[in-house]
Amino acid sequence: MTAAAIDTSPTPIEHEDVRDSRKLGFWLTLPAQLLVLFIAVFPILMQVYISLTDWSPLDGIDWWQAHQLWNSFANYTDLLDDDRFWSALGRTALVMAICVPCEFLLGLGLAILFVDNFPGRRFLYSVLLVPMMVVPAVAGYMFFMLFQSGGPVNDLLSFFAGSPVRIAWLSDPNLALFAVIVSDVWQWTPLMFLILLAGLVGVPEDQLRAATLLGASWTTRFVTIVLPRMKTIIIIALAIRVIENFKVFDNFYIMTGGGPGVATETISIYIYKVTQQELIWGYVAAVALVILITLSIVSAYAIKRMSQSRETSQ
Amino acid sequence: MTAIHLENLSKSFGSFTALKDMNLEIADGEFVALLGPSGCGKSTTMNMISGLLDPSEGSIRFGDRDMRGVPMGKRGVGFVFQNYAIFTHMSVYDNLAYGLKATGVARSERDRRVKDMAEFLHLTPMLNKPSAGLSVNILQRLAIGRSAIMEPAIFLLDEPLSNVDAAFRAVMRTELKHLQRQFRQTMVYVTHDQLEAMTMADRIAVMDHGKLLQVGTPIDVYNNPSNVFVAGFLGSPGMNLLPGRTIAAPAGLCADLGSFGISAPLPVAGLSEDRAIVYGFRPEHCELTSGEGIRLPVTFVERIGARTILHMGNKETSLRGVFDNDVPVRTGENVTLSIDPANIRLFDAKTGDALTEAR
Repeated sequence: MTAAAIDTSPTPIEHEDVRDSRKLGFWLTLPAQLLVLFIAVFPILMQVYISLTDWSPLDGIDWWQAHQLWNSFANYTDLLDDDRFWSALGRTALVMAICVPCEFLLGLGLAILFVDNFPGRRFLYSVLLVPMMVVPAVAGYMFFMLFQSGGPVNDLLSFFAGSPVRIAWLSDPNLALFAVIVSDVWQWTPLMFLILLAGLVGVPEDQLRAATLLGASWTTRFVTIVLPRMKTIIIIALAIRVIENFKVFDNFYIMTGGGPGVATETISIYIYKVTQQELIWGYVAAVALVILITLSIVSAYAIKRMSQSRETSQ
Repeated sequence: MTAIHLENLSKSFGSFTALKDMNLEIADGEFVALLGPSGCGKSTTMNMISGLLDPSEGSIRFGDRDMRGVPMGKRGVGFVFQNYAIFTHMSVYDNLAYGLKATGVARSERDRRVKDMAEFLHLTPMLNKPSAGLSVNILQRLAIGRSAIMEPAIFLLDEPLSNVDAAFRAVMRTELKHLQRQFRQTMVYVTHDQLEAMTMADRIAVMDHGKLLQVGTPIDVYNNPSNVFVAGFLGSPGMNLLPGRTIAAPAGLCADLGSFGISAPLPVAGLSEDRAIVYGFRPEHCELTSGEGIRLPVTFVERIGARTILHMGNKETSLRGVFDNDVPVRTGENVTLSIDPANIRLFDAKTGDALTEAR
């Protein structure tokens, strides 16, 4: 996934002992390299191969004979016209555009609260990290229950409204998207909080005091000292969440199954459904490959930015 | 420029008393060093002046203004940190401009003042460079400039030379003193290094265990320590301190120094007989003699080039003397020391307070 980010270092001057040790190194790492070949390189090549055919497990021929169903780039051109694919991709982007900023802002806010000591800090800190430890599928079930029309969320709203509220959260297309986003924010804000707190703690105390003595307000200090100092860690946190959120599946699938209709169908759910329900594997391979390449480019860019900001901040 | 008045200043953290009943007047434009070993309360004092800590008791006034409840950003105090706390993610220019920007000084005015300060501190060539990776003396000037540009009434320096190696420290000391003369600001300098305090300060305030022990000019504090701690702490090596008792002798009142013999007549009149005292003299004030004096064995000869330090005495009491480098003495020999009575300092054995004053 990150192959594009690996630097090619300049070749060192060759000495005989260097050559020897390199030969030894080759033989020593050969088993591991073969393993990598089979678990990473081989499936990708297989995927590229299948993506160029109309093969499906129902065709009665084995996958290596898929060339009999060769269709050149038909799967890729079909992709351009597949409205469901594009809407799933757009929805994934929308979910990301809502989830990641929400998680970032909540996580940053919590980190700011937790950087100072207060009674009960350690206990609350542990409590805050619990959602992150919950298996996403379990979290999905939890929110599935919470958002039932007779569930606790409606009960709570009824209490405040004073009259019974019966909102069908998971069967209304817009509300369903809202509900799944809430579950994602609940589950992953703690990770943001954890990473950002680590960054916040690393901001030198003396510099903040120096800024205070120079007459800077809290806001000025935050903008001019804290944020620039945390830049690298913020980029890392955002990159992790963007990549993870793009692949979101478990809680969404359990809460809504991608529905109602396709209202919460993200790209992962789309791929899963096309693979498992429609069994057109050649096409799915093409879709998955396009996404893999897209994500690789995004993460390579993020890593490049990270290393740049590290150079400038030191 | 402002005078600082500390009155009955105390600070305790829970049951631990970091500073007790400190009274100190620092005049306008004066350079005062707070000197003492770590844990003596000097940093606590400085943090209270800067507003980082609130005093438990007592008051701090800058001129006529009571500083109680004034937040640190509004005290007009410049603070140079031990590690300079330079904003390393900014350029030299942005570091200098930081305070002016934060307090909303207009851009043209800001630019003019930054340029003036840079010129004054010889920072102009590196104004647009990133501040990370500059050498220590430039960082020091930048840290001072960054505070000085706000024209603070008071400058506080918290051990600014402790991260610098010994050779470079001498250069920095000179530069710092030079800068202080130019700024003419009231400066309070915290250090545990007596050399820094002696060379730079107008007055030294020696502290130990949360107590202010003595305030005075470097020479005065050195020559006339007010108690045994100051006597032993200042000087390298510190003052020799021998326990003894006053004893009447034909020539006058002398000190009985136990196995080392009887001293020459004491220079202080009016002491009672058989009083427990501490007999002190500086290592550089003793001479070898073939006549009368205190006799003691040499335990170690330390030749440091320019001088030779003789370690003398026994298990309980050891003393040191500084002599010419070719002093003809070997370990194990017995020597006799004569000390000019004018250089003898006497202290009360119980309270540790000085029994002599400069005459």
